[in-house]
Amino acid sequence: MYKLVLMLLPVLLSGCMKNSETERARKAQGLVYCAEANPVAFNPQVTTTGSTIDIIANQLYDKLLSIDPNSGEFRPELATHWDIANDGKEVTFYLRKDVQFHTTSYFTPTRTFNADDVVFSFSRLFDVYNPYHFVGDANYPYFQSIGMDQLIRQVVKIDDYTVRFELFNAESSFLSNLATDFAVVTSKEYAQNLLKIGKEAQFDQLPVGTGPYLFKHFLRDNLIRYHRNAHYWKHPVAMEQLVYDITTNGTSRIAKMLTKECDITAHPSATQLEFLISREDIRVDKAANLNIGFWAFNTERPPFDNPIVRRALSHALDVNKMMQAVFYGSGIAAKSNLPPSSWAFAPQSQLPEYDPEKAKQLLLEAGYPDGFSMTLWAMPVSRIYNPNARKMAELIQSDLKLIGVTAKIVEYEWNTFIDRVGRHEHDSVLLGWAADTPDPDNFFTPLLSCTATFSGKNPSNWCNPEFDLLLTQALDTNDIELRKVYYQQAQAMIAKELPLMPIAHGLRFQASSSDVEGIELRPFGGISLAKARRAQ
Amino acid sequence: MREYLLRRLSLLTFMLFALSIFTFSLSYLFPGELLTNLSGLTNSNYTSTQLLEAKYKLNESLLQQYIAFLGRITHGDWGISLSSGENVFEHIRILFPATIELCVYALITSVVIGIPCGIISAVYHRRWPDNLISSVTMLGFSIPIFWLALLLIMTFCLTLGWFPMSGRIGLLFEIDAVTNFMLLDILLADFPYHGLAFQDALHHLALPTIVLAMYPTTVLIRFTRDSMLHVLEQNFIKTARAKGLSQAQLIIHHALRNALLPVIKQIGLQFSTLITLAMITEVIFSWPGVGRWLIDSIYQRDYPAIQGGLLAVSMFVILANMTAELSHSLLDPISRNKAHGKI
Amino acid sequence: MAKFKLYSEESNRSPLSRLWKKFKRNHPALVGLWIFMALLVLAVIAPVVSPYGINQQHSDALLLPPSWHDAGNVRFLLGTDDLGRDVLSRLMNGATYTFGLSVVAALITTFFGVILGTFAGLTRGIRSSFLNHLLDITLTIPSLLLAIIIIAILGPGLMNTVWAIVFALLPQHIHSIRNLVVQELNKDYITAFRLDGANQWYIIRRGIFPNIYEQIVVIFTMALSTAILDIAALGFLKLGAQPPVTEWGAILAENLGLIYIAPWTVGLPGVLLFLAVLATNLVGDGLRQVLKDRKAD
Repeated sequence: MYKLVLMLLPVLLSGCMKNSETERARKAQGLVYCAEANPVAFNPQVTTTGSTIDIIANQLYDKLLSIDPNSGEFRPELATHWDIANDGKEVTFYLRKDVQFHTTSYFTPTRTFNADDVVFSFSRLFDVYNPYHFVGDANYPYFQSIGMDQLIRQVVKIDDYTVRFELFNAESSFLSNLATDFAVVTSKEYAQNLLKIGKEAQFDQLPVGTGPYLFKHFLRDNLIRYHRNAHYWKHPVAMEQLVYDITTNGTSRIAKMLTKECDITAHPSATQLEFLISREDIRVDKAANLNIGFWAFNTERPPFDNPIVRRALSHALDVNKMMQAVFYGSGIAAKSNLPPSSWAFAPQSQLPEYDPEKAKQLLLEAGYPDGFSMTLWAMPVSRIYNPNARKMAELIQSDLKLIGVTAKIVEYEWNTFIDRVGRHEHDSVLLGWAADTPDPDNFFTPLLSCTATFSGKNPSNWCNPEFDLLLTQALDTNDIELRKVYYQQAQAMIAKELPLMPIAHGLRFQASSSDVEGIELRPFGGISLAKARRAQ
Repeated sequence: MREYLLRRLSLLTFMLFALSIFTFSLSYLFPGELLTNLSGLTNSNYTSTQLLEAKYKLNESLLQQYIAFLGRITHGDWGISLSSGENVFEHIRILFPATIELCVYALITSVVIGIPCGIISAVYHRRWPDNLISSVTMLGFSIPIFWLALLLIMTFCLTLGWFPMSGRIGLLFEIDAVTNFMLLDILLADFPYHGLAFQDALHHLALPTIVLAMYPTTVLIRFTRDSMLHVLEQNFIKTARAKGLSQAQLIIHHALRNALLPVIKQIGLQFSTLITLAMITEVIFSWPGVGRWLIDSIYQRDYPAIQGGLLAVSMFVILANMTAELSHSLLDPISRNKAHGKI
Repeated sequence: MAKFKLYSEESNRSPLSRLWKKFKRNHPALVGLWIFMALLVLAVIAPVVSPYGINQQHSDALLLPPSWHDAGNVRFLLGTDDLGRDVLSRLMNGATYTFGLSVVAALITTFFGVILGTFAGLTRGIRSSFLNHLLDITLTIPSLLLAIIIIAILGPGLMNTVWAIVFALLPQHIHSIRNLVVQELNKDYITAFRLDGANQWYIIRRGIFPNIYEQIVVIFTMALSTAILDIAALGFLKLGAQPPVTEWGAILAENLGLIYIAPWTVGLPGVLLFLAVLATNLVGDGLRQVLKDRKAD
């Protein structure tokens, strides 16, 4: 076989040398991003999957407003300014003019962005008379999990560039939620065109937005291609093309960084960070991130409906070992379900510590002296809050064995996995949550409230009215100190009831070629490549 | 000849029939709900369930269901993939050419290398070229191809940086899929940098082709060597040698033709091995072919996709084998006389 | 071979000892046989002699390189993986799964192959034709693909893999053994046997088997090398053995993520696999060569 190599090499190499100039020129016009999973959809309104949001939200769409990652203040985006009236129950947005929607092979806009688009985009979430409300089974997981569909009374168009949101009651996190990656503005004209030809389902698959890149092509399991939006309102976009190379395997993603097939890679695995940092041609960025990795129990299924069992299992976890073997120093052990950088954080002393003896004793107390067997679902992708759930699951498996509990590890492809966990088919699951806004509510309502249970976003399947009451009270007030008190009570409640066992908060890493600049990593929400360019 | 063709044709029909029965029964063998396995639709409501049951004739006899199944297969309705929600047939149509492309190049490589090596090995029987080739063949024959692939990636991609390690072409080349055969598509595409794209595609092809060609090459070397040795022991060769023909004349004019006939059949049979090994190769090199997709579908328990994938792959293997056999018997009249159904 | 022999006692020896005498002269095959035996012994005693348990985690020793390396530790001869598990122990136990189970699978295949192959060789007429057609179909589908199909039905898992491989190898086996049987049946001594009034069972037991069992061993080694490759390939594709089972292919796949920082965790299982297949092939090839030579004598 070496003969073939010897035969082919000169041919291929000589060609490669000759054209390297042209090659470089061509490469300079595009950027390849190694993504870890297929996008679930191309509309952030209908999904909360982090890998999908990273790919679509900031690249294709714009929001009304955003949050400055450094100062925490609101920044104008599609809305130039806004004011709040009537005790916070009415929010009026004044919209930017001359913003163009994408011109693609499947849609050519005849007008610029205006109030109709905003009304359409948001009424889709809650208004049953919106023709698109039931497209895709009326599933808007983020908005439903925070109860926004119950919050907005109506969205009113005042004039072409003014929109008023009328709420049933004031909620302190409303603006923050509008600034999340999910609250994007879509094109009403495009929606109507599709309606005319009866292809509504296409709306969430072939996107039209106002963002820096426009959709060109998607080949499942293979690639997504975006082109530059030449008419982007905010600033000129440097890269001609943005290509997502869908590479589910973390090792392959790193390898592609080394062979220069990728310029940026999502979530390099913790084991390889040290190696990557040692390379000169690769830059590793680190950003604090609001997230939590946890082990959630399906609290509707016996024996996990018993808090003592949940506590016993949690006592069996050797978290320190996990921090070493799974996080390799890229995370901090959790002291609560809120990360320490959140303003409402309070360390919980009730949180179980590693103590197998105690665990056994508690199991005895709960009536399981001989243990039991259970399933342990490990997510198949690497996320900030859990770089390697499979490995963690194996650690937990051996920890549980010590207290006589047999755990069977279950894995599915990521989208199937989310789907099945949403249907609560698991006994317990290793999962996590990365915040979309700095508001602490983001760690409670979308994750553990009763509404989240119904929308399938609550992996603990846990619905506690008392807990929900605390959350509502915290949202009803704008007094930070008061809110802190409520959230601290909520944290204590989680530490006591343990619908989920908080494990760790991860740091967000991002590896990119050292000649690529302008990648925006934020402590919350997805990545933005709008300003990405190659250094000359 | 006609009778022979008829016999082969009837065998082909029988095989396709057996294959269709097998594929049909897969939906019943797979775990999970029958209707979901058939249609690929989950969470359907009562009326749509009724409609589907009518479509798949679930309330009728198995025979009726089988006939309905045949009708769907021939119309290209292979069900909906559970994981992508798209038509399985459409997936296969896009992915299969990539696999075939890879297999064809690997087969060409293994023929180009394997047959000459095998001949050299036989001609220099038990001298150093034979020993060298046989030992290398033995090593190549024993190496697990996924490990070989990893070794090659480690050396040529990661350490030396000579070859890319995944995909069919640099992703920044925007090539319209017309035929789904990459090299053809590049020629058909209209953009200024044809040469560059073509080279890039060849670059991407190199390692997967080598990995995939390894096993068939060793098989062909061994087979050619054995066949050649066998022929060289025949009396007519001895006679020719006694008549004073030179070694070169002997081999080129007398031995080669007779030795290569069975090799031709063997080449065709390699196609089925290639398709299987291509699955592993595709997984490692992220080659967007039907093998990688099929294995992904197995992970995801995407039954309609597995069923469709298996049907396509098996059908291809059967047809490839049949073609090999036919072309072999065209060249070698003796083989046609073998008894019916004998193997 | 010299045609004239001064002393004739050599040819009076039993066929088996002549076989061994010739086999001994083939050095690569002999080395192969030793490795083969060593692996076989290892497969049996590995669970007892391995220094640590396969899932015993040493949190104080994560990712240690092999002991001859500067940073290595003599406690862990071949280093540890990312969970602090001893690589040596895991690889030793891997022999039980990859090699041991392959031997089991090949034995089962041979057992059924001989029974069914003999049966196929003895049948005539329409039944034989049907059987042959059926074999024809399955023969065209490579064993790994057939195994993947079976796993698609049964679901991933180590035991399912073994069954899948047995089923996948069986058609080839039946085919080869049937050919051997038919070949022998057509020989004159069988006809003579038959004329002497020997019954079918007697012909098989005393006539055919003593003449083909060596060939069956050759077929067995072929099945074994395919079985090892298939089990490992399926393990590697995560369709076979599931971690933390220490099947070599599965270990390889599991440690793929460590390839940059701990290449030994990926390299070593690959080397072992390669050795196991190579040894099996060498033995098989050597045996085939010897049988051919003996025939030529």
